[in-house]
Amino acid sequence: MTATIDNHWYPVAMISGIQAPRETLLLGKKITVGRERGTCWVKDASGNALPTVERFGHLWTSPGQPNRDLFTIPEADSPGRRLVDVGSVKVKCSPLRAVENFLDIAHFPFVHTDILGAEPHTEVDRYDVKIREEVDEVWATKVKFFQPQAAKSAEGGITTEYMYRVPAPTCSVLYKTCPPRPGEWDVITLFVQPLTDEWCEVWPWMALYDDDSTMSEMVSFQQLIFMQDRSILENQLPRKLPLDPGMEVPTQADMTSVAYRRWLKKIGYTYGAQLVAA
Amino acid sequence: MNWVAVALTEDVPPGVVIPSRIEDTDLAIWCTPSGRYHAWSDRCPHRGMRLSHGFVRGDTLACIYHGWQYNEEGACDYIPAHPKLTPPDTICVPTYTCTEAGGVIWVSLNKTDSALPALGGRKPVRSLPINLSANDLAAHFGAEDYTTIAVVSDHDVLIAVQPCTDNACMAHVLASPDKDRTTVSRWLEDLRATLEGMPS
Repeated sequence: MTATIDNHWYPVAMISGIQAPRETLLLGKKITVGRERGTCWVKDASGNALPTVERFGHLWTSPGQPNRDLFTIPEADSPGRRLVDVGSVKVKCSPLRAVENFLDIAHFPFVHTDILGAEPHTEVDRYDVKIREEVDEVWATKVKFFQPQAAKSAEGGITTEYMYRVPAPTCSVLYKTCPPRPGEWDVITLFVQPLTDEWCEVWPWMALYDDDSTMSEMVSFQQLIFMQDRSILENQLPRKLPLDPGMEVPTQADMTSVAYRRWLKKIGYTYGAQLVAA
Repeated sequence: MNWVAVALTEDVPPGVVIPSRIEDTDLAIWCTPSGRYHAWSDRCPHRGMRLSHGFVRGDTLACIYHGWQYNEEGACDYIPAHPKLTPPDTICVPTYTCTEAGGVIWVSLNKTDSALPALGGRKPVRSLPINLSANDLAAHFGAEDYTTIAVVSDHDVLIAVQPCTDNACMAHVLASPDKDRTTVSRWLEDLRATLEGMPS
């Protein structure tokens, strides 16, 4: 395993869910996660302590030596937001496939039918995508899509605006129109723990303005959405994400995915990637 | 390899798509509303999603992921994210030779001139997966060629064998129209139990 891959921060647990020490996998290697006297810890297979960060309701670790701090989401700190630990879903696919699906809006009418999208509202208008070199992140902005029920708090269909951000190879942050508070952004994240290169544990997390829904209603909504995504993710061939052009055919609606794949290749992040066309 | 049975027509009615497999080749088998059968590579060229999870709309097969529609030649003719775009000819799904005869859907992965297996007027009874390679199943009946195995038994059954993996095959069973389907079906389940080493 190269340092390029080891030196990132990875989510390995929801802090509120850590009880007895739990064994899990990170990049194909066994680790143990636990908590003592309120402090979370992670150990590798030899019992060595790994670095930890507690942020966004989750515990993060790294098998390497991260050369930068875990990213932040300043918007999530603004008062009045409900912070939602959604839980986790294990998915038999590359961690990169899970992130790429999160960046995609064109599937909404077909996979999240009558919730995040519905025919005949299938068109994806041009939006802006760039790799922000100064922070080394992928950003897509001015993404718009018609949604029958954009969030638990939405009443009726609205055109939702999105911004997507990839601050780390296996994490994505989505900012989307907030139905009860025009002008503010809801924050929905996808934190992906690479168990192996073809198996991942996905930890969605949200920071929403929603004064009406119960916590379990918000969790159920997001879990329903992700269960629908899982039916896709476990049936893509190959399981790994092809980084080389030729094996899959993008269109204009896939500009975010194209930029994500290009960025992964540029930074040498190949865990869960397929480099040679099969 | 020539003709291989991949399904019974009664299991793929018009408007339906199912997954199937011949050795290393994953297949989507589908039937148009007017009854034409197609056998395609089970992979949408866009993002690799299995087309067998898709849906038949008109004379097209659509991918469930983004709704891309493929006409009967396997060429993409509609991309919902870009309704005004005419998709380039290069976006197409690999297709295989596929035909229906005697209530069985037959596929040839290569171009072939060979005749379809003779069924002797037998009618389809059912398909049953067996955890045994196609060759091992053929060997059980002393047959060299697994494509079709005529079994001399009380039921005069014919098995069209579909090789799926190194240790699994699908047995498509046909019997004379005067045989009782339930009896033949039970015989087949007993046969599978014996072959798989399970108590019946």
